Formats: sequence, C-alpha cells, structure tokens
Amino acid sequence: MSAVVDFPVKTEARPYIDTARGNIGEPDWLAQHRRRALARFAEQGFPSRRGEAWRYLDLRALEAKPLPPTSSLGPASRANLDTIGFPGSAHRLVLVDGRFSPELSALSELPAGVWFGSTRAAIEARPDLVEAAVEALSQQRDQPFASLNAASFSDGFVLDIAPGVALDEPIEILHLASGEVSASFHTRNLARVGADSRVRLIETFTGTGRYWRNNVLALRLADRAALDRVVMVEEAEDALHLAIFDAVLGRAARLTSFALLLGGETVRHEAVVHSEGEGAFCGLYGAFLASHHQQTNIVTTVDHAAERGETREVFKGVAAGRAHGAFQGRITVRPGAQKVDAHMLSRNLLIGRRAAIDTKPELEIFADDVKCSHGAAVGDLDEAALFYLLARGIPREQARRILIEAFIREAVEIVEDAALRERLLARLARRLAVLEE
Amino acid sequence: MMTEAMLDIENLHARLDDGREILKGIDLAVEAGEVHAIMGPNGSGKSTLAAVLAGREGYEVTAGTVTYQGRDLLAMPADERAREGLFLAFQYPVEIPGVNNMYFLRTALNAQRRHRGEPELDAGQFLRTVRTKLKELDISEDLLQRAVNVGFSGGEKKRNEIFQMAMLEPRLAILDETDSGLDIDALRVVANGVNRQRAPDRAIVMITHYQRLLNYVEPDRVHVLQGGRIVESGDKTLAAQLEQRGYGAFGDAA
Repeated sequence: MSAVVDFPVKTEARPYIDTARGNIGEPDWLAQHRRRALARFAEQGFPSRRGEAWRYLDLRALEAKPLPPTSSLGPASRANLDTIGFPGSAHRLVLVDGRFSPELSALSELPAGVWFGSTRAAIEARPDLVEAAVEALSQQRDQPFASLNAASFSDGFVLDIAPGVALDEPIEILHLASGEVSASFHTRNLARVGADSRVRLIETFTGTGRYWRNNVLALRLADRAALDRVVMVEEAEDALHLAIFDAVLGRAARLTSFALLLGGETVRHEAVVHSEGEGAFCGLYGAFLASHHQQTNIVTTVDHAAERGETREVFKGVAAGRAHGAFQGRITVRPGAQKVDAHMLSRNLLIGRRAAIDTKPELEIFADDVKCSHGAAVGDLDEAALFYLLARGIPREQARRILIEAFIREAVEIVEDAALRERLLARLARRLAVLEE
Repeated sequence: MMTEAMLDIENLHARLDDGREILKGIDLAVEAGEVHAIMGPNGSGKSTLAAVLAGREGYEVTAGTVTYQGRDLLAMPADERAREGLFLAFQYPVEIPGVNNMYFLRTALNAQRRHRGEPELDAGQFLRTVRTKLKELDISEDLLQRAVNVGFSGGEKKRNEIFQMAMLEPRLAILDETDSGLDIDALRVVANGVNRQRAPDRAIVMITHYQRLLNYVEPDRVHVLQGGRIVESGDKTLAAQLEQRGYGAFGDAA
C-alpha cells in the first residue's frame, strides 16, 4: 500500500513515512496526533548538526543505512531475564523490540490508585494518559525524533499514581531488543505521579543486533510528588539509542534521575525539565563509559520558571579508544524565579590520545537573586594515584582500570539503594574489562 | 658462604626530566636483616633516591647500577619491583577517591601472592590478617572502609603506610620521611610498627631529616647524604653527632 502524503518530506525522513502508518484500528484522536507528528518530522528531517542541540552527534551512519520501524516481532526469551533485570522485581514490565511482552512481564498487584500497563493497553483503558504522553515535546522545534516517535510508537509503558500513594517496591521496565529484526523501535511512555505520592523507576535498555531505539518518556510530577529514576543503558554494539525524557515538576516535587551509559554505538541521553512549581527539586546525575568507536552524548535542559527551585547536576564521562563523548547542560532561570539554587558539574576522563570529550555547561539567568554555578573538567588519569597503586605491586593495566572505575564509582554512589548500586557497579566492571585503551 | 646483598647501589647518578642532576654518585650496600638510616638536609637528594629505587617516572638514571637481590632493579617497572618485595612508604601518601582501602590492599596483596605462586587470600582470611595488624598499629577498622587515604589525618596516613608494609611483608622497605609531620605519640606507634617488622630476611632503609625517629628505631648503619652523595657513614652514634653539630660539619657541599 502506498500512502498519500500531502506534506513536504526531507530525503532522510522518507524511509520512515510509509512505515509510520501501520496502526490500523486506533481511535481517531490518536490517528490525528500521529499524522500531525509525522508531518512535523517529515518537514524537519533529521536534526541539523549546525544547531546547538545536536552538534556533537554524528548520525551519518543512520542516514546511510536507514532503520525504519517494522511490524514483525522477534521472539522473547525468558532465559536471561534475571541477569538483565533486577532479581525478584515485583513489578516488571518488559518491552521486546518496542512491544509489550505479557509473557515476560510480571505485574503483581499494585495498590489502589495505581494504573500500570502498556501504552497500547492504555489507548483503550486510559486515553487521557496516552494523550498526555503523546503531547510531550510536541511543541519543541529541535526534537524531530520525538515527532517521529509520536507518529510511529508501537508501545511503551504508562504508570499513573493517584495522589497520596507511596510505592515502596520499585517499578522495573526492561527495554529489550531480540536481534531478530533490524529496525527502529519507537516507544512512548508516561509516568504521572499524583500529589504527595512517590515511586522509584528502574529501567534497563539492552539487546542484540543492529537497531535504533527511539524512546520518549513523559514525567509529570504533581505537588510534593517524588520520582526517583535509575537507568542502565547497555545496548548492543551496533545499536543506536536516542532517549529523551520530558519532566514537569509541580510545587515542591522531587525528581532524581541517574543514568549509567555503557553500551551502544551511538547513545544520546537527554533530559528536559520544566521546574514549574515553587521549591521543586531536580537532581540529574549520570556517567558514561565510551570505548572503541562509541559516541555518547548527555544533553540536559532545566528551565526554572518558579521561585526557590533547586537543581543539582553531576555527570562523569570516560572516553577511551576512538570514542567521542559530550556533555551539554543548560540551566535557565526565568525572570522572577528568585532564590533558585542550581549547580552543574561535568567531569571527564580521557584515556588515550584518540578519544575526545566535549563539555559545555551553560547558565542563562534572568533573575537577580539566585545562586547558580557550574564546573567542567576534562583530564587524564591521576599519575600520582597510578604510581601509588603500582608501588604496591598492582599491575599497570589493572591499576588503570581501578582508577577509571573509581572515577565513575563516585557518580554511582548517588544511587541510594545498595543492591541496585552494586548491580550497576558490576555492569561497569564488566564493561571495563573490554575497554579499548 | 657469600651472602648476597639485599641492595647494592654503585655510583648512582640520576637527574630530573628537566635536566637537573640530583644524585651524583651514590654507593650503598644493605644486607638482609639490617636497618639503615639515610639522613640529609633538604635538597640533598633523599626523596629522589627513594623515588628512583621505587621506579617513579620523571627521573633519569644517567650512570651507575642498582642490584636488588641479585637482579638489576632499574630494569624492572615499578609494579614488578613491588611484587619482588620492594616497598616504599610514601612521604606524602596519595588520596584515591572511589577506591576502598580494603579492596586496594587485598588487590595489592593478591597481586604479590600470585607473583610468588601463592594462592590468593579470600575475603575471610584477608580480614583476619588485617585485624591482627590493625591492632598493632592502633588503626581503627572503619578507616579501612573508606577510600584510600581520603579524609585521613597526617598521622593516620603515615600509620596506614606502615600498616600496608605489615600486610605486604616486603623484603626491602624504604621509608621516605615517615616521621615527618608526626606528633610524639604517633611517632611512637609508627616506630613500634617498624621495630616489629625487623626480621633477619628483611632490610629497612629509613630516609629522614631528623634524628628523632632513630631514638625509637635503632639503625645498624647511618649515612649522611649531602649534595647527591653519601659523604659519611657510621654506626648509630653518627646520628647523635649530626644532631649536635648539624649537617654543615659534614662533606664539602656544606
């Protein structure tokens, strides 16, 4: 079937136009959303590297070999689920190749006031939530992939928590790729946390094969709501991982996010935070370890629109081999958003002469009574520390790895849950073992 | 029977990477079981000698030889020297954030054990050894749960060096100004720790500016280092003479 397209289409967008319209039987409101989103993407095409937001990401390989979405599905294997996920997870939703897998998921009973399920199930059951998810980032000019995502998403997860509910058990999402299909997986997700409620999210992205994961998550925190998200990205060697979350914070809401980025040929981890309620807290933390030909970008935008907001950002990066890492952080304080307290830190380690890291923290401040600062550094391994380890008999290569691990470990310490922290560190150690120096 | 010297330094010349010559012909022989003190004023080359022996980068040996247990020490990289039983107690122990003290020490000990063909210690065996030695040096166990030297006081850092020496049981220990910055109580603890490690198959070289450590750890030999050379050697009474007359009385570089 050839689709009738009545809007302009950029060349690189073409492979994604026909495939985006395979969602027969969806309600009209959603079909309209998809159509508008597709038109936005088609007109804009891939993001331009001339613009600031995407300047460090090289997408030529994807342009040369497109990865359109597919309707065929890879088989789901239960075998290694517990080594991928968090053992004994009570609430686990598994997406394979961008689609909900009921047989791999374990959704135990949740307290009253909590709705948790796949985005596809929510289209029928909770269209209001899906609409909120689809509208996220739709007004942003420089997010064509979010538009493509809205047009093409196959599934995702939706979590809605009524006011006054504290979830003690974390909610776990596994985003897998089976390796059976070489395609793009567009997933659209939402976590909405009601007033005075709190929840922890643990998400793992991993898989095999060549694929492009395009993940969009909307986070909506009502007054005094708290959400703590920990993300592990360990995609396949040839995979692209472009993920963005768009958060809106109510009064005295608390959002903390930690991301450990280890795998994937191209990884972009982006956070957009609208700090709209007075006294909201936003903590963005993370670390990346890039080796071989990997490119890893961390992009954060925090917009303080209300008084007494607080932001803390700490990101650490390591690039080895011929890898390229980048951190771009921007904190904006709008006029009248007094007493904002914001600090951003980007520390990076270069291993070897062929690796590169760019770091670009920025503050844009339009209020006069604020406390804002940023710091950035790119350096080599500490020679004095290295000699200290050597002088105790630790072989040079092992000593170097201990120091690289220690550098990232400092960032991982932010994760409060000890078992989860150990798990992240174990993944890090595994990755370090194959680091190209 | 010929005894082979633990350490035999002949005509050692070394300079910094920037070309300044610091060591200008050191001769020194240390036998197993002996404790030597090398004393000298600031800038005499004491710490350079320690650094060159331990294999720190940034120095170039321009002449001379160093034989350690019959092998060419200078041909070995720093980590191999350590695995062969050479230990340097740092004048300024390095802080290493993110590396747990216990983990660091166990990694070092097991690297050395592997090198000697001995089985690695498991966590339990390691902990038992640690506890015994900690007590001897009056170090609290929670210090070891922290990152290497991070947040340690000056005295704690020095005690930690001697604790590491006790754990690693080296053949040759070089203590670089281990007494500096210690109050009298800490000095006594450190000195006791060193004394406890005197052994027939171990040599200890203490590098120091002051004589006071030698009141607690009695050396077999004392050497005066001045202008990059050893200008005087003697028994322990030499240290007392130095204390009275100052370094100015020795050597032509004064």
